[in-house]
Amino acid sequence: MNDPGGSEAKRRVFIAGESPLVEEYASACAGAGMAVGVSFNPGSGGNLPPGAVRRARGGTKDTVGIELTNTSRETKRKNLAEMDRWLPPASPILSASAATTVTEQSAWVRTPERLIGIAALPSLLRGTLVEIAPSLAAGRRAVEASQSFFRDLGKETSIVRDSPGMVLPRILCMLVNEASFALGERIARRGDIDTAMTLGTNYPFGPFEWGKKIGFEQVRAVLEGLRREFGEERYRTAPLLSRGIPEDTAAGPAGAPPFHSQ
Amino acid sequence: MKKTVGIIGAGTMGGGIAQVAALAGFDVLLYDTSGEALKASMERIRGDLRTSVQKGTATSPEATAALTRIRPRRTFEEMGAADAVIEAAPEDLEVKKEIFRALDRIVAPRAVLATNTSSLSITSIGSLTRTPESVVGMHFFNPPARMKLVEIVRGSQTSEQTVRTVHEMALAMGKTAVFCSDTPGFIVNRVARPFYGEALRVLGEGTATAEEIDRIVRLSGGFRMGPFELMDLIGIDVNYAVTKSVYEQFYHEPRFRPHPIQRRMVEAGTLGRKTGRGFYRYE
Repeated sequence: MNDPGGSEAKRRVFIAGESPLVEEYASACAGAGMAVGVSFNPGSGGNLPPGAVRRARGGTKDTVGIELTNTSRETKRKNLAEMDRWLPPASPILSASAATTVTEQSAWVRTPERLIGIAALPSLLRGTLVEIAPSLAAGRRAVEASQSFFRDLGKETSIVRDSPGMVLPRILCMLVNEASFALGERIARRGDIDTAMTLGTNYPFGPFEWGKKIGFEQVRAVLEGLRREFGEERYRTAPLLSRGIPEDTAAGPAGAPPFHSQ
Repeated sequence: MKKTVGIIGAGTMGGGIAQVAALAGFDVLLYDTSGEALKASMERIRGDLRTSVQKGTATSPEATAALTRIRPRRTFEEMGAADAVIEAAPEDLEVKKEIFRALDRIVAPRAVLATNTSSLSITSIGSLTRTPESVVGMHFFNPPARMKLVEIVRGSQTSEQTVRTVHEMALAMGKTAVFCSDTPGFIVNRVARPFYGEALRVLGEGTATAEEIDRIVRLSGGFRMGPFELMDLIGIDVNYAVTKSVYEQFYHEPRFRPHPIQRRMVEAGTLGRKTGRGFYRYE
């Protein structure tokens, strides 16, 4: 049992966190033939995906732990401390780090050498690559174990340095934020902003379509993480993101934004 | 529906717009001060239409008819015959103001005056004419023959009738129109800023290399191109100029602050594909 995170034995994965991230990871793991136990955060809702079982906490037989909470630092801290306590020391802990840096999370566990940050946001697991950020204390063994885990899910990995929002979550959430500022200033309709960005720049989705896939609450959490870490005005959350992004109402003349009809 | 469209400026954008307008059945008056530019533009259009026929996106008779509908012109006064004018001159407010002052003197009072600006104020341009209600932004994307999007930008005095007219024109040209108010960068050039700006900061902070960031954005996000590949394609000088313009027009809003990496590259002349070197090297 030299490589509990490796692919030789059937992996036993314990996943704790919020919906829909937990379902996405649990489905992918179950689909790859892993034994999956999940625990949803209180109040986060969530449906048990086929092949997964509910468990109150991780255990000594789990070979990988995955913590998937972006929106509550307190809950994340609690989940990580639990995993750290129950999972065997050789099992890597992969932790959603789009909103909280791995370095900060390292202070919440006794064994930061097995802590690996992952750019986990809802819908991103559909891609073929996952960015990972090892904690400063992480050993090669934990990095290799996490790469091997993602290989079993059919994913490539890209190792980045620990930084708020990592790479893709930071870029995507700032796009959603800018679009939300623009919508809040009523420069265009929501649908037109999405159309403009897909046709004018070849983005796969418009910023509000991205926001909906990721979840606006998750977007806010990433932006708040950036603001907290950098302390810059640049990362101020658009007011509309806090109030809620409205759907378009009926078009004005010639598809004009109703607020600009004269 | 407007029948004759005047296009001012026979560069890449003007020529491309002339081509789509002619294919849509409009008679086109293509104006430029330079005979050489007009000749080169007509050659480009001819070549592009030939490619369209080869690819099956236009029939040979359609391409021939489109070509005959484009009349190159070097006398500005002839633009007075147009029902609608689309100005596609260089992105310089003074140049555009001069053109609109001159247009104001020669076009019919009800003619629509559109500008293909990507960053200048429609309201400011419109204020120079007697009919600011007829002045509107019609922002095509490069290359106009292939990019489906047109941003229709209303200045503070643009009338609904003017917006409707250019909307109909855009639809006739097979474009998808979106509407926005006259604000810096309109929709695309504003909302796209973080795609480049955050990527540059991530690079500057040493979180990942340009190649790695591009790989993540493509393979994890499903984008066709990463930010650095795209900046190299657009031209780092062009991208930097847009960022600076939006930043300045928003009175130095920190979200739009340009990055020193980009400025250094502009100063070094490593402008992307067109110079053989940008964030990547090109043979």
